[in-house]
Amino acid sequence: MARYGMVIDLDICIGCNACTMACKSEHATPGGIFWGKVLEKEVGKFPAARRIFLPVLCNHCKNPICMEVCPTGATYQREDGIVLIDYDLCLGCRSCMEACPYGPRAFYGGDGAYYENGRTPFEEAKQHFPEGIVMKCNFCVDRVDQGLNPACVQTCPTECRIFGDLDDPQSEVSRIAAEKKARPLLPEKGLEPSVFYIGG
Amino acid sequence: MAARIDEFLIDVRPQREWGWLVISYLFLGGAGAGLFLVSLYLEHLWAGVLGLLVLLVGTVLLLLDLGRPERFWRAFFRPQTSWISRGCFFITLLFVLGVIELALQWPGLELPAWLSEGTTLRTSLRVAGGGAAVLVMIYTGFVLAPSPAIPFWNSAFFPIIFFAYSLLAGIDILILTSPMLPGPSLDLMLLERNQNYLVILCLLLVLSHVSVMSSSAVAARESIRLLTRGRWASLFLGGVIGAGLIVPLLLALPVVWEAQVQTVFALTFILALLRLFGDYLFRFLVMRVGLYDPLL
Repeated sequence: MARYGMVIDLDICIGCNACTMACKSEHATPGGIFWGKVLEKEVGKFPAARRIFLPVLCNHCKNPICMEVCPTGATYQREDGIVLIDYDLCLGCRSCMEACPYGPRAFYGGDGAYYENGRTPFEEAKQHFPEGIVMKCNFCVDRVDQGLNPACVQTCPTECRIFGDLDDPQSEVSRIAAEKKARPLLPEKGLEPSVFYIGG
Repeated sequence: MAARIDEFLIDVRPQREWGWLVISYLFLGGAGAGLFLVSLYLEHLWAGVLGLLVLLVGTVLLLLDLGRPERFWRAFFRPQTSWISRGCFFITLLFVLGVIELALQWPGLELPAWLSEGTTLRTSLRVAGGGAAVLVMIYTGFVLAPSPAIPFWNSAFFPIIFFAYSLLAGIDILILTSPMLPGPSLDLMLLERNQNYLVILCLLLVLSHVSVMSSSAVAARESIRLLTRGRWASLFLGGVIGAGLIVPLLLALPVVWEAQVQTVFALTFILALLRLFGDYLFRFLVMRVGLYDPLL
């Protein structure tokens, strides 16, 4: 069985947020909620100061603490490692948000319109999230099931994201992870994330 | 609904999900269970009733905090891994055993011989009720403690701290309401003397936790900085440690050692109020200084 994962090359990410917008477009996430985003930080001192970018999303951990603390079983893991939320079971207790060190989850309290004047026709057509639940990146599971890459991977203009089967040593994602000594975020937390980073 | 700019920065992030409803539950749930436990020891029916009522108010606040309160019953489905799920069982168990215990204590009730005072069944019910109260007092500590995300919470101290603070708050509610409670009069002096031991225990536990966390992960050190030198220093040092623990301890010395009964009555109320204030503030600050480690 596959274990899906992603490698992100920080050396070629330019912080354009095309992935952020592709994600919003693909899933019509409510205003103010980002399943994927690009964090930034200023490092160094003038005149050598520069900005670094860190694209983040759900890490679809092998040992997902969010699933462990969920009191209803709303958070679950597929055999291919993708961690999903069943909105019909979610209580909105947010214990998963407190337990996850990566911060990719968001609570949706309702009113998903991006603009003050109400929902756009796009939001009317695509935004069908129930209120009072927690949501997060689902690795574009519908696209993956059709053999496509997640929207963020498909859109990235610098091709800094590589998606694939981490359990297949011949896959591009596995080869690059091995060759370039990819590392996850906060490995000391022991959650075994499926999103790895190289460069930076 | 714009996202906040700090959500896009790689930095220590504060938890913002659990606010005053959860804080109030931590306080009232613990205090209610603590009061019920004390009522069993004192065999005081109305203290037990009050304890369950306080727990009920706290539980309602917790339900209101849920995004989908009408689905609360689903939280019973994952006790094998989730402490919140286990907590639902503990609270339910305490309500069921508590109501049975109070019903059996009800004045004028004719009980069959096998349920009368001193029988094995009656004693077992009482012990089980006390056990359920202890579980409700400590499980919230286990909700926080196993989480790897927020280092300040990731500590074995929390279940013990919450137990000590819950017992302290339960007895303080009993002291404050004692003039209005029907039933046998309470020995305020005895209660006050015991409170001082609990205050010393709370002080040692809180200071130990602060000491351990001050050399822990980046976010935990920042939590300690906020508590001791930063934004929340005046509330923590002045409110939790000063007004909530040290001042009551110093003011209680004449009560404990000189036994001036006239001063006991007025002073114990003030001391109880101060300690309750410190307890609520402690739980508030635990939530406020819960910080996630930076991702890089």
